[in-house]
Amino acid sequence: MRVFICEHNWEAMLSCIYDAWSSKLGHANIRLTTQEPEQYSLLDEYVTVSFDRGKAESVMDAVNLKISPQVYSEIAYAAMSSEEDALDTIYRVLILGFAYGPNVVKMVGYKDVSRFFDIRRAVGNEVHHFIEFVRFHEIRRSLYVAHIEPKNHIVGALGGHFSDRMPSENWMIIDDVHKEAIVHPKDEDFYFKKLSDDEFTRLLCTEEENDEYTDLWKVFFDSIAISERFNPKLQRNLFPIWKRKHAVEFK
Amino acid sequence: MYEISQDLSLDKKLEILSDAAKYDVACTSSGSDRRGQKGMLGNSCAAGICHSFAADGRCISLLKILMTNHCVYDCKYCKNRRSNDIERATFTPREICTLTTEFYKRNYIEGLFLSSGVINSPDYTMEKMCETLRLLRTEYRFNGYIHIKAIPGASSELINSAGLLADRISINMELPTEESLSLLAPNKSVKNIVTPMNSISTAIASHRLAIGKDARMERAVINDRLSHTIFSGNDRAKNIGTAGSKGIEEAVNSALLSNNVNRGGSFLPADPKDKSLRRPFAPAGQSTQMIIGASEESDYDIMSTAQLLYKGFDLKRVFYSAYIPLNDDSALPSLDTPVPLLREHRLYQADFLLRYYGFGISELLSDDKPNFDTRIDPKCEWALRHLGDFPVEVNKASYDQLIRVPGIGPTSIKRIMSARRYGHVNFMMLKKMGVVLKRAQFFITCDGHMMGNIPIEEQFILNRLTDADRKTSYQIQNPDNSVQMNLFNDFGLSAGSA
Ligand code: SF4
Repeated sequence: MRVFICEHNWEAMLSCIYDAWSSKLGHANIRLTTQEPEQYSLLDEYVTVSFDRGKAESVMDAVNLKISPQVYSEIAYAAMSSEEDALDTIYRVLILGFAYGPNVVKMVGYKDVSRFFDIRRAVGNEVHHFIEFVRFHEIRRSLYVAHIEPKNHIVGALGGHFSDRMPSENWMIIDDVHKEAIVHPKDEDFYFKKLSDDEFTRLLCTEEENDEYTDLWKVFFDSIAISERFNPKLQRNLFPIWKRKHAVEFK
Repeated sequence: MYEISQDLSLDKKLEILSDAAKYDVACTSSGSDRRGQKGMLGNSCAAGICHSFAADGRCISLLKILMTNHCVYDCKYCKNRRSNDIERATFTPREICTLTTEFYKRNYIEGLFLSSGVINSPDYTMEKMCETLRLLRTEYRFNGYIHIKAIPGASSELINSAGLLADRISINMELPTEESLSLLAPNKSVKNIVTPMNSISTAIASHRLAIGKDARMERAVINDRLSHTIFSGNDRAKNIGTAGSKGIEEAVNSALLSNNVNRGGSFLPADPKDKSLRRPFAPAGQSTQMIIGASEESDYDIMSTAQLLYKGFDLKRVFYSAYIPLNDDSALPSLDTPVPLLREHRLYQADFLLRYYGFGISELLSDDKPNFDTRIDPKCEWALRHLGDFPVEVNKASYDQLIRVPGIGPTSIKRIMSARRYGHVNFMMLKKMGVVLKRAQFFITCDGHMMGNIPIEEQFILNRLTDADRKTSYQIQNPDNSVQMNLFNDFGLSAGSA
């Protein structure tokens, strides 16, 4: 088995798909992943692929033209997943896609397609979760910063929603796990940024800044609950404790 | 009275006025789709967005507050009634604007839910509320979601300007019949609730027509697939039929027949030159709320009124609020009456059946059977009474047949229909598609086979369905009763649900 390994970013993954495809080893004899294996097996051969513009573009064009732009955006979305088998699943779906065309996404009877949707759904759920539960903190007048700790690499997927919501504010969302961030200057487009260690440490303590509206929000949060309907179990089901870390109302 | 509260700090006011607003159940931010705009703050997403969950498990989506809890009215069931001696407060318009925009920027909320006690007069109150919204929309450039409560008895001009500033506007029906309304809310009347409801629904419809939409609100897509629903037919006056709610029906009819309010430009905003005031009229529609269990009515009375309001005024939602005894009053249930949470839950389920499943209330309840079974949900109850129509074959059945199967909903039907085009559906696939087999199994076949060896026999199925739901039903009525729950488990009384 030959294992193709690349970094977890979309361009590198596209390049990796290109190399895997053109290796002509037979689809059953290769595997793709973005994670270094914990233990290297002697039976497998490992190849590290890095970003190559030409390769990435040719995969992008092939998927868009021969399958469909929808499928392209679906796989790009699922690629934010941190699941070990995400890239490999995408690859398997593309093989089917090149054979059957855009309908591949409806062929849920195939194990790879159904796994693809599990991955896709998990990413979608996490994006949706943070659209709801991101909390911004005003660290100085009119600069709003949020920290999140997502499982998947989804911080970029939050940019569209929050740009539409707050087009004329300065804000930033920081993914503490993967040390990446999106930055939105007032009235401009947002951009994605990998954070250096220095930047990251400097931004780490923003939640300790005093923000008077956090206190007002806590007042509201407590008094809006109806004690006669007290239902912590339901509250926990809907908003699990492990997800509350940055939700200031629970601090 | 008005002045005293001015000394209170903002957090004290917020505490008092959110506490006073909490019994209003509507907190959804759904129904409006609006993109953001440079220079403004906020957008709106049709599906609605929750931002937290309070200790009672209810979603927090909006800053839900009263403008004031002073009130000249004396509704028996209400904590803010004139005759209660409680701490009172009033927000200034600017305080409301600041809280809304600052909370919004921190992603705590999707917008504002503004209600109010009646201060001085309905018109005075409504005027103040409109002033607040106008300030929020113009100077504070707020483009997020706003739900405003209309005050019964306020003039239709004021209610119309509120509708132009808000996404959703609602007037609480409070009680399902005229008798209980006059008993428990002596300052309100069916007429001064139903008349503005009608005027709002007319305004919504004409605004929708003006921008090229259908006069009636969008409903779940599934309604287009069903041959008959409570929303079909366009003539509202003819459409309402004869549901059983006393007094209300007459008022609805007469309001609909005297449709002489709100024509043409009479509800244009005050200053149409300001772009931020040029808005559609309550794009998320209107809703209402009824209190459950403060008065004697049956589920049939309540749901009949709900259906009447859906049909007559094209309401987007009716909310049901289990009565919480707050006041000691001979006209009300005693203070130790349990909050009827399970009943409320059944009513919401029935409401779903009206809105998404094409049921009419007379199929679910009747004078002979005026209340829902607490053990099983209304759809199972209906299916058990119609065992002759089952089982249905999943690979052949129509939308109309599938939608009536317990455990199958609009989303799973969509998946079933799409999967049927590529092959046969089996039980494994149904499970993946979100079908709740512990309910559906009694009513369906896949290629001629049932899931197990199931006798189609009412008592047997009822027992199995009751078992499957016992734990859930118990928990709904007793959300925090962990001790009892353990008893259930210890004695093996709760049938482990699949
Ligand atoms: S009008 Fe009635 S329900 Fe509303 S605040 Fe006043 S007393 Fe309460």
